[in-house]
Formats: sequence, structure tokens, C-alpha cells
Amino acid sequence: MLKVTNLEAGYGGSIVLHGVSLEVRDGEAVVLLGPNGHGKTTLLRTISGLIRPSAGRIEFDGKVLSDMSPAEIVAAGVVHIPQGDLPFPELTVLENLLMGAYLPDAWKQRKQKLEQVYELFPVLRERSNQLARTLSGGERRMLALGRGLMSNAKLLMVDEPSLGLAPFLIEEVYRKIRDINKSGLSVLLADENADHIAGFADRVYLLEMGSIVSEGTAEEMLKNEALLAAYLG
Amino acid sequence: MIQEESFSRQSMAARIEERLKPSAVPWSRLSVVPVVIALLVSLVLPWATDLLPFGKFVLHLLILFFLWGIVVQGWNLIMGVSGIFSFAQVALFAVGAWTSGVITQQLGWSPFVAMWFGPIAATFVAVILGLPTLRLRGAYVVLLTLGFQELFRNFTTQGPNFVAGGGYGLRYVPKFPFEEWVGGDKAQFLYYYLALVFFAIATFAIWRIFYSPIGMAFRALRDSEVYAISRGVSPFRYKLFLFGFVAFFTGWAGAFYVHWYGAISPAIMLFGTTINLLAMIVIGGWGSFWGPIAGCAVLTVLPEIMRAVEQYRILLLGIVLALVAIFAPEGLFPLLLRWVRKMLGRQT
Amino acid sequence: MEKLIQAIYGGIVYGSIFGMMALGLTLIWGALRMLNLAHGSLYLVGTYIAWALVTLLKVPMVPALLIAALGTAVVGFGMQTLFLNRILGKPGWDVGSLIVGVGVGMALDQSILLIFGPRVKQMPPLIPGVYKIGRVVINYNFLVVVAVAVISLVLLSIFLSKSRHGLAIQAVSQQPDAAQLMGIPTRTVFLIVMCISAALAGLAGALLSTVYQVQRESGANAMLMALVVTIFGGLGSVKGTIWAAYLIGLLQSFLMVYLGAGTALPGVFLFMMIMLVIRPSGLFGLGEAQRL
Repeated sequence: MLKVTNLEAGYGGSIVLHGVSLEVRDGEAVVLLGPNGHGKTTLLRTISGLIRPSAGRIEFDGKVLSDMSPAEIVAAGVVHIPQGDLPFPELTVLENLLMGAYLPDAWKQRKQKLEQVYELFPVLRERSNQLARTLSGGERRMLALGRGLMSNAKLLMVDEPSLGLAPFLIEEVYRKIRDINKSGLSVLLADENADHIAGFADRVYLLEMGSIVSEGTAEEMLKNEALLAAYLG
Repeated sequence: MIQEESFSRQSMAARIEERLKPSAVPWSRLSVVPVVIALLVSLVLPWATDLLPFGKFVLHLLILFFLWGIVVQGWNLIMGVSGIFSFAQVALFAVGAWTSGVITQQLGWSPFVAMWFGPIAATFVAVILGLPTLRLRGAYVVLLTLGFQELFRNFTTQGPNFVAGGGYGLRYVPKFPFEEWVGGDKAQFLYYYLALVFFAIATFAIWRIFYSPIGMAFRALRDSEVYAISRGVSPFRYKLFLFGFVAFFTGWAGAFYVHWYGAISPAIMLFGTTINLLAMIVIGGWGSFWGPIAGCAVLTVLPEIMRAVEQYRILLLGIVLALVAIFAPEGLFPLLLRWVRKMLGRQT
Repeated sequence: MEKLIQAIYGGIVYGSIFGMMALGLTLIWGALRMLNLAHGSLYLVGTYIAWALVTLLKVPMVPALLIAALGTAVVGFGMQTLFLNRILGKPGWDVGSLIVGVGVGMALDQSILLIFGPRVKQMPPLIPGVYKIGRVVINYNFLVVVAVAVISLVLLSIFLSKSRHGLAIQAVSQQPDAAQLMGIPTRTVFLIVMCISAALAGLAGALLSTVYQVQRESGANAMLMALVVTIFGGLGSVKGTIWAAYLIGLLQSFLMVYLGAGTALPGVFLFMMIMLVIRPSGLFGLGEAQRL
């Protein structure tokens, strides 16, 4: 479904990604592992169209994403949940969620989508009339996920969902993402450590210095502890 | 996001270090020859203009160039170099003019004494204005300084009579006594030389700051306030110092103006003057040292040549200003300079 | 008592007009991070379009107001597409946009002078007639101006807080990166904001042409008061701006009535200075002072 081939991208003159290729198949949960500052966020931002690639190709369901605007990419079904959540601070939780369904197709189904999101994240229903900036860190993470689910996403890209959360909240967030994946959505998740591969990921990519250095099924990766230790410490 | 920041931070450090290299500090390598030549030329210039049929007019333009040159250089220093978006420079010019003018009119002091109080008052006002303003960033500085200028204009039109002169501003201000010294014809020469001295001193002072380590600190502030703060540069104090420093010369130019024309009208503080000066900086090349001076020269002469089509000139100037901001944000002078160098390089 | 009525009445009139001008400025600031110094010129465009329609072409007042707002929006559209879009999102945007605003404003002002000449012009009131409370004269025309202003402010607030596109404008203003990730086309939103802002300025200009004389200086004055209001309300805050508009309107009116017309501008300005020292982020503080 998502196919990235030989992608090169970066900021200004400096190239961060040197020919990255990866694939996410229908219904899969793929984890992109790599230390901080090695290009995970850049890769996701390039896929969602915020950064123009300098070379390479991104395909999704037969469409070429690398020529599309961010809006068109969202419309195609690739939805990016950014690092740090980036809620709209002066909008209420409800309004934040509605903005997730901005595109016309999603907007028409916003009522039922809202119900689904509220069911998955009951806390958002309780907070629906609060301004987003008053939420706690965990609630903000839920809001970011819920906002992403409001769209007609086929592939959800999540950037470091564990960042800055207390351990028990991290567990909950991953459980939610797993549920989302189980419900049929493909997930591409960028992470710094291998703690959450087991029981979640179908396949794993290792990204280092802007290149994929290893890939395999979750079981293969977990067996190869030496490899993980070498890259992730 | 994090990556982006670290990249720009690296290049920031590299850029600033480059500027701090001794070779980048021009006063250590400034050749004396061009300076002496420039000074000699400007000393002889009035006598040369005397030979022309419209020499008086040229001399008048040169004095205007010196005056606005001082204001523009100062403005460029605070806006182009340190990023203080002050729109009150003409008001500070006017503060200098009014102070000196009122002192000569009301107290009967000699213009030579009074003219020192103009810049002092301007500096004082700048510091008072800067205290609340410069802690805030860009847009707020624009708003507040614009507001201050409007307020001062209001004061000079509706204030007490010895300031406002019934809405006409100051009239019949004592001029410098040059006419009594050398007679009417040559008096303009003395005005020219005095303006030249002012201009030379101001240019030298601003040039020193421009290329000094303090200037580096200012540019660091403009480029990345966070980085500068983390390197121990206190933005507020530097900005306040710079604002006051520039206000001094701006007020000085104002004081000269009032004792040269013998009058000043509040209309000078209408937005048009400010825009004209801004155009000099932007079109010449903001943040560069010579660009605004070149811009000032062109835009002082141009209006006088284009008197007949004045209204179209302003229309054109507005469009040019917008186009320069879009297509040549560094200004036309640096562009021209590079082009000339390229042409020269091709020949040799 | 009469003075009090006079002051409140004046404050509401001023406040409504300041609100229309300032809201345009604050919307642009919120979405584009641009201090639009051409805003006063857009106001003038509205004024002169309305004047030309009513006195030269004998168009009735109501369509004239609408056409003036629309025409000004078209000018804003042109400013955005011809000039601002070329530097949008590039480094140096804050300075570049400021200067583009100055340049375009200058060109607009001068075009108006070239087309209409320097003479001060007079516009008939929307509805003639007055109503007297004691010695206080309530002008029907003023009431209509206030009504139109309030209606447009209310409609705009509803649009911003309830509709899909209005919410998108707020989203882009608050978190442009995330807005893009939601599929909101930011450039289109910027264009819409510019058109709305220009239309508001134009409508304010057209409305006020029935109150004041039509002259070139009025654009700069209107913008100055709008700037004061936006600072006071907090740049980028819609709610703050509307409150601030009425507060500043009342303050100016009270100063005029009780202390004389000459004290209004210095008084308001002093008030703003104090406000900035105490609370630089404005009435409802969005922390905007930190953002540029």
C-alpha cells in the first residue's frame, strides 16, 4: 500500500535521508526504529508532503505522493500524527477533532467518526468543551491520535507516541494504537527504542544516519538483540 | 523540528565565527587612500558646483543628502543590523529639531549651543520610548513607534503655541549666522561644510559600530535571538544602547535642519517622509553598509528631477518598494555591486 | 447625565468602527504573521469606491456598501496573489511582508490621489435625521453605522467559531504545521483571510464616508486607531480585539467629552503604553508578544 523507493530529502542544502526504501502493506503495523536525529521525523514529514524530496518516489495505493500537496496526501488517506502532538491550543477538544475531519469526504461523516473516536478515547468526550491547551500531556496525546482518526485515514503515521509521557501512560497509548491497527488501519510508527515491538509490530525497519540498515519481521529483530543493542544502545 | 533547529544552529555558529575573524574586520585593513580621496573631493565639491549654472541647487541637494544620509544610516543600523523595527526615526529627528529650535527662539541662545540639546533630547526620548518598547518583539515595536510618531506630530500641531505655532510648527527659527560671516552667496558653502562634518562623524561612528564586535552581537541578535541569548548577549541592553546611540545622530541632523531652513513643519512627520527613508534603505540594500547611503543619494536626487511627474513617482516608488522586497530582498546596491564585479572579472 | 450619555454613545460608535478595522488587522496577523501596513489604504479604497458609486453613478447606498466591500476584497486578493504569495513561507517573511505592505499601501494611496484628486469630498448620510435626548444629539446615520458594524462583527465571529472554513482559519493561525497535516490548504486559507480582512476595511471605509469627510488622510488615522486596538486586544486574538475596540472607543469618547478633544489621542496612546508594560500580550493574552 505505501511504497517508498530510494528517497532523498533534507532541509535547505543538507540532505538527511540518503536513499531510503520501505514498504507498509495493507493492515500491517510497521515500526521504524532509529536513534534521535537520524531522520525518522524527516522521513514521515517527507511522506506527508511537508518536505519536498530531492530524489526518489513515494507511492500509495498506486498514486504518486511525491508530487502531491499535503492536503492531497491527506485526502489520499495518509495521515501523520506529528511529534509533540501540535494541538490547536485555543480551540476546544471538539473543534480540534472536527479539524481532523476537515476534508469534504470526512466532514460529511464527522458525526459517526466523532462517536468512534469518543468510544476509543472516553476522556476526550469528557473534555470536549475544554480548550486544548488546558489538557494534560496524556490527554493531548489522545487528542492527537483522535484528531488523526477523524480523517478518512487508511495509513496512520505516528511519530514517537511515547515522547514525554509517564510509563503507565505510554502503555495505554500503545494499547490504543494496537487497537486502531486491529480495527484494520495500517500503522507506520516511528520509535526510538524497541520496547514496544513485541506483540505489536509485524515488521521493523532500522534507520541509521538517514539510511535503512536492517529490516525484518518483529520476531527476527527481537532475536537479534546484538543488532538492536548496537544501534539503539 | 529538532533536527532543523540543530542544523540552523550549526550554520549560525559558523556564520558568526566567520564574521569574527580578524580578516572580516575592515578597519584593520582599510586603506587610507579612498578615504582621503573622498574627503578631498567633498571639500572641493562646493567650488565645483559653483561653476555650474544650477550649482546652488546641487549644493542644496548635497546638504539634503548629508542630512537624510545620517538618519538613514542610523535607521539601517538599528533596523537592518539589529532588527529593531522603529518607525519613529523621523519623530526623533523632529525632537532634535524642535528642541534646538525652541531653545534658540525662547531662550535666545546661539544655534551653535542649542544644537547640542537637540540630540541629547532625542536620545533621552529614545531611551524613554525604548524602555517599554524594546523588550517586545518586531510587530509591537512597529506599532508603538508608529504610535509615538503620530503622538508627537499631534503635539507639534496642537500643543502650546511656542511648539506648535498655531499648527504651522516652528517658523523664523534663528539660522546659523553664516550669512553674517561670509555674505549670502557663500553662506551655503558653510552650511555644506558643517553638514559634511556632521555626516562624516556620524558615518564614521556608525561604521565603527557596524563592524565592531558589538555589531556582530547585534547581527547575532537579529538572526537568532535564542542563540544570542544562550551565548550571553543581552538583547534588551544592546538594543536600548543602539536605539539611543542612533537617536543622538538623528536628533543632530534634525537640529541642523531647523537652523538651516529656519523652519520646520509637523507635516514632516506624516507617513510619507518615513516611507521615503524606508525606501532608501530597502532599495539601497538593507543591512549592508553602503547600500542605504547609495539609496539615499539616488532617492534624494530623483524626486527633484522628477518634480513634474511627482505623483507618478510616488506611485512608482511604492511598487518598486514592494518588488524589491520580493525579488531582491538584499537591495539593489549589493546586486549592482556584484554585477559590476562580475563584469570586471570577465574583462581581466 | 447628558455628558454621560454623550460619552457612551460616542464610545459605542467609535468602538464599532475600530472593531471592524482592527479585526481585519488581527486576522491577518493571526494567520499570516504579517503586520499589514496597507490596511489603512484598503480602508481608503472602500471609502472612495463608495463615494464614486453614490455620488457619480447614483447607486443606492446599500448596494454601494456591498460593492465597496467586495471591491476592496478584490484589491486584497490582488495584493496577496501578485505580491505576498511570492515570499510566503520563505525566510525574511516578517520584514518582507511589512515592506510589501508599505509599498502597496503607498501605491494605492497615490492611485487614489491620481484618480480622485486632492479635494475633500462629501457623502450623503445613510439615513438623514436626528433624535434628541436633552442636548445630546443622536444621529440616525450613526445608529445605522453601528448596526451594520455590529452585524458584520457578529456574523464574522459566528463564521470563525462555527463553520468548517472559519475553524480552519483559526487552526492555521494557531498551529500551521498541524493544520497542513489535517489537509487544510494553508495558502487558500491565507487568501481567504486577506480577502475578509480587506472587505472589512473597505466596509469600514465606506460606512465612515457617510460620517466624516472623504479625504486621503483618513486612511492613516483609521489604521492608527486600529493598531492601538490590536495591541490592546492582543495581536491575533479575535475576542480580545472586539473587547478592546469598545474599551478604546469608550475611553476616547470619555476623554473627548470630559477633558476635551485634544486629550483623546495622547490619552489613548498613554493607556496603550501602560498596557504594554503591564500586560504585553494583550487583554486576553495569547502570548503573542513572544511569537515574532
